[in-house]
Amino acid sequence: MKKKKVASKIMELINMNLHKNLSFIRNNIVFARKFLRNFCQSRSGGAVTYPEIEDTSYLPTKQRERKKWHEKIKSLSTVEEKLIEVNMPSYYGFRCVDLSEGVIPYDSLNFTQSITRTYFIEEADVQEENPAGVSTKKTSQVFDKLKPLVIDSLIFHHESRIASEDDQEPVSSLVKNLNTLIMAHLAKDAPHLMEAEVDYHPRLEAYWVAGGMEPTYMTRKAKKNFAFMKEYADLPEDRHIQYVGNPILQLRHAEPLPPRSEFDTSKNVDQDIPFFKYDPRVLGLSLNRRHGINIPGFWPGDPCEHSLISYHLCNHLRDRPKVYGSEEHAEALHCQAILASYGWLLPLACYQGFSPFNDVTYPLLTQTVLTDGQFWSFYSYQMNSNKMNSVDDTHKPRHNMCWGTRSLKLFEGVEDGKVIGMYRVLELLLNMYLNKPCKRDVEMKPYLGEQQHVADIDDEERRVWLESRFKHLYSLRPRHRPMPEVYHWEKIYKIDHKTRLLEPKRRPFELGVNPFKKRLDEHHPAYIPKAKRTNKKEKWEKTYYP
Amino acid sequence: MSTRWYPIYQKGNPQLRVFLPNFWMKLVKPKFNQPPNILQFHVSMEMTRIDVRNYLEKVYNIPVMDVRTRIELGPTRPENLKGYIVKDEDVKVAYVVLPREIKFEFPNLFPKTEKEIIDEETKALKEVKAAYKKFEERNQMRSRLPGWFSF
Repeated sequence: MKKKKVASKIMELINMNLHKNLSFIRNNIVFARKFLRNFCQSRSGGAVTYPEIEDTSYLPTKQRERKKWHEKIKSLSTVEEKLIEVNMPSYYGFRCVDLSEGVIPYDSLNFTQSITRTYFIEEADVQEENPAGVSTKKTSQVFDKLKPLVIDSLIFHHESRIASEDDQEPVSSLVKNLNTLIMAHLAKDAPHLMEAEVDYHPRLEAYWVAGGMEPTYMTRKAKKNFAFMKEYADLPEDRHIQYVGNPILQLRHAEPLPPRSEFDTSKNVDQDIPFFKYDPRVLGLSLNRRHGINIPGFWPGDPCEHSLISYHLCNHLRDRPKVYGSEEHAEALHCQAILASYGWLLPLACYQGFSPFNDVTYPLLTQTVLTDGQFWSFYSYQMNSNKMNSVDDTHKPRHNMCWGTRSLKLFEGVEDGKVIGMYRVLELLLNMYLNKPCKRDVEMKPYLGEQQHVADIDDEERRVWLESRFKHLYSLRPRHRPMPEVYHWEKIYKIDHKTRLLEPKRRPFELGVNPFKKRLDEHHPAYIPKAKRTNKKEKWEKTYYP
Repeated sequence: MSTRWYPIYQKGNPQLRVFLPNFWMKLVKPKFNQPPNILQFHVSMEMTRIDVRNYLEKVYNIPVMDVRTRIELGPTRPENLKGYIVKDEDVKVAYVVLPREIKFEFPNLFPKTEKEIIDEETKALKEVKAAYKKFEERNQMRSRLPGWFSF
């Protein structure tokens, strides 16, 4: 009777995979050994199968851990849960390289291409007088119709530009006006524009991890001081990147744009993408501690979740020093376009169920226009890969592609209320509007479960909790516990020189705690007042972190 | 340096004539790896970014794209034999960005001569030889006896 009981208990332990709970087996060791031998033999027909032998040295273990986490992100069901999980490692956020639109350091095209793994192709044959090969019968007809209206709009905005001190508002107003005109004139020929959504000044932010740069001074020093970490001191390090865009206007559609080149880009790239090995701070960029935010201008669940066109201002070029030279200024525009395009496509891919750590399975395309009213440049960008981190060596990276024109002049100037020298540059813009999105044959959301968004979750408590937590995280408010700091006097008299040995040790650095390693869920749950409890013993509210 | 203090001009003072500026710039080896077109200087605390740019452009005729400065905190240390903590002077660090075509490598200021290199290589051998010689001299009186043998 006793043997039967022990056997059933052992079976229970095996089924629950409780490897750590061995005390029960140890207490009944004689019987358990015999039973387990019989059990193993009966299960595998005599031969015992062992788990795969893993390399337990430092690097492979770390890589396995990261990979396991990436697989966890992939397996989560809803978009919002994935986006929260990306932020789970840190309560106060990551130290991100701050990439704000319009702040472009000197000679940063290599850096931009490197962190987005983008291959850039300049379409040199496009001229102002004749947008070669692009002009069709339809575009030229529509352009001729539009021309007087555009001229009116240009004159109006030129005058308001002179009147107002704000340099940007008249341009964004001009762009909105032009968009309305074009949409109205093309609606008959391009019915997909009727279904498109137009957003004015949407919130655009993208977060990813770019890999392979030199370790920082402090990381290297910290590793050098540990005997067993010494050999890893010079290993390349990943950097968190946070892009904050500032689009004037975005057009989006329910279906994606058709790809422009092959998905597997190894064939159509004849040169290597430049690799930037230095710490991004050498360019003058700063680090900022914040949560990684991926938001393409709308909340998850909107039906129009693919890109058509986005407009960005390039007025910042006027503030850049002239000594940089015209060639560098042209490159700065390319930088802005690459970041604006990648920074929109990445959050859009995240809404399809991918993440900065899970690569897309099909290409995504977007079109970007940079303008200051007079000068226009047009870009199209194809995202083939969004996994920029260097954790997995076996991952063979695909390249992203960007095609762009140089800065083209729309008109020579405005004099006496008349536009002088109007070019046919807008035909390129019309072509972008005519580029028709179409349905793909591939599965668009392979990594999303049955419930694709938090709003689909049936359990009300969990749904409400996840929704509010997601929105709170994305609001970027300071955390409930303020960020800890080491005061200057503490650094001098307590850390660098131990002069106050008799004082009680209460601060985190004295207790050996790194507060920035605190995870997102390491906080007290909300307290339920006694009057509101359904179960008298449940003092704390449940949390539903992924 | 011409004066101890940077003369602040007050209205009504006689016209300020500075024949030698108070400004100095010291090219230093970068602590962190930099692209080859970025130089690192320690500069006089009074110098602004504009001063650094003018100094290099006007005096040395070097094309400057961008200048970034920061003030590095001086190190703290216990005073010798006294024990209390003192702090050394702060340093203003200037990062000067040159046009990207220019490549600069920090020079090796004290290159070793051939003799020095050979000396360094044979240093260990010489030390062993000297130690053996000393041992022999010490044990002159009891030659042929092993080193461990003593009363």
